[in-house]
Amino acid sequence: MSEAVAGEHTRDESSLYVMIWGWLIFLLIAGLAIFVLPISKALAAFLIFSIAAVKAALVIRNYMHLKHEHLLIYLIVLIPLLFFFGFMMTLIPDIVYRHAMGM
Amino acid sequence: MSAAQASAGTTMAPEVVETDSLHQIPLGKVAIWWFLASEIMVFGGLITSYLLMMFAHGGFAEQAVHVKWKLGALNTLVLLTSSMTMILALASARKKDLEKTRMFLGITVLLGLTFLVIKIFFEYIPEIGEGFTPASGMFWSFYFGMTGLHGVHVFGGIVANFCLFVYTMRKVDWSLLERRVEYAGLYWHFVDVVWIFLFPLLYLT
Repeated sequence: MSEAVAGEHTRDESSLYVMIWGWLIFLLIAGLAIFVLPISKALAAFLIFSIAAVKAALVIRNYMHLKHEHLLIYLIVLIPLLFFFGFMMTLIPDIVYRHAMGM
Repeated sequence: MSAAQASAGTTMAPEVVETDSLHQIPLGKVAIWWFLASEIMVFGGLITSYLLMMFAHGGFAEQAVHVKWKLGALNTLVLLTSSMTMILALASARKKDLEKTRMFLGITVLLGLTFLVIKIFFEYIPEIGEGFTPASGMFWSFYFGMTGLHGVHVFGGIVANFCLFVYTMRKVDWSLLERRVEYAGLYWHFVDVVWIFLFPLLYLT
């Protein structure tokens, strides 16, 4: 009985993985549709990267099983991400300001 | 060695602990996530530099017009599908289904090779033939640098997955196979996540 339950669980897992793949492909097509649409570049960039973030979250949470992992694993991933965003947020305003001022 | 064994004059090999753990997480898993964290710094640094140079210097859009975005989209499809087959390989390993594990690992290797073939033969070589090289401008330096580094990572993943594929050709230790497929899978999915961001950055925006 327990083997049958375990088998059912793993069949459900496989179905979930295929469903996630379906969503990833749908989001890929959506991103490409936004790329070819005649909308402003800034809006297109925002939407395309938002879609990319959703795709990445689907892969990380479901394929990399991060949603089931211990807090330690979250910290190992989070800290370099915070460094990366910190560097960007620190430097980009300065660079954009200098570029706007023609420096 | 117990006192009884010592008094009997017998010796036993020291007990081997199969896996150590940190907060009940297998050390191998902690190690692979630690490695991926270092890779976040590498690719994060490159992406940050690209964004800073794009804002500071401009002219990237004019150069980026020449990248082959349809092939980039095809490669994204290939890599996303390979992520699915990699996780299905893990699911099969957990079910102790050797044939399916081997099949999905083999498909993952083939899809990885497809990615590299498209990248090298249908993008890099024609682009270089058209006169776009790493020395052609800042955008092209970043394009070849970032996609090239990513390609090297894809190749490393292909090698790891191929080794696992070969391992499944004979009688396996299931707990060992499951762990190795899981850790190789974590690396492969990370490579996919990096491409999920590189594709729009270099091809679409």
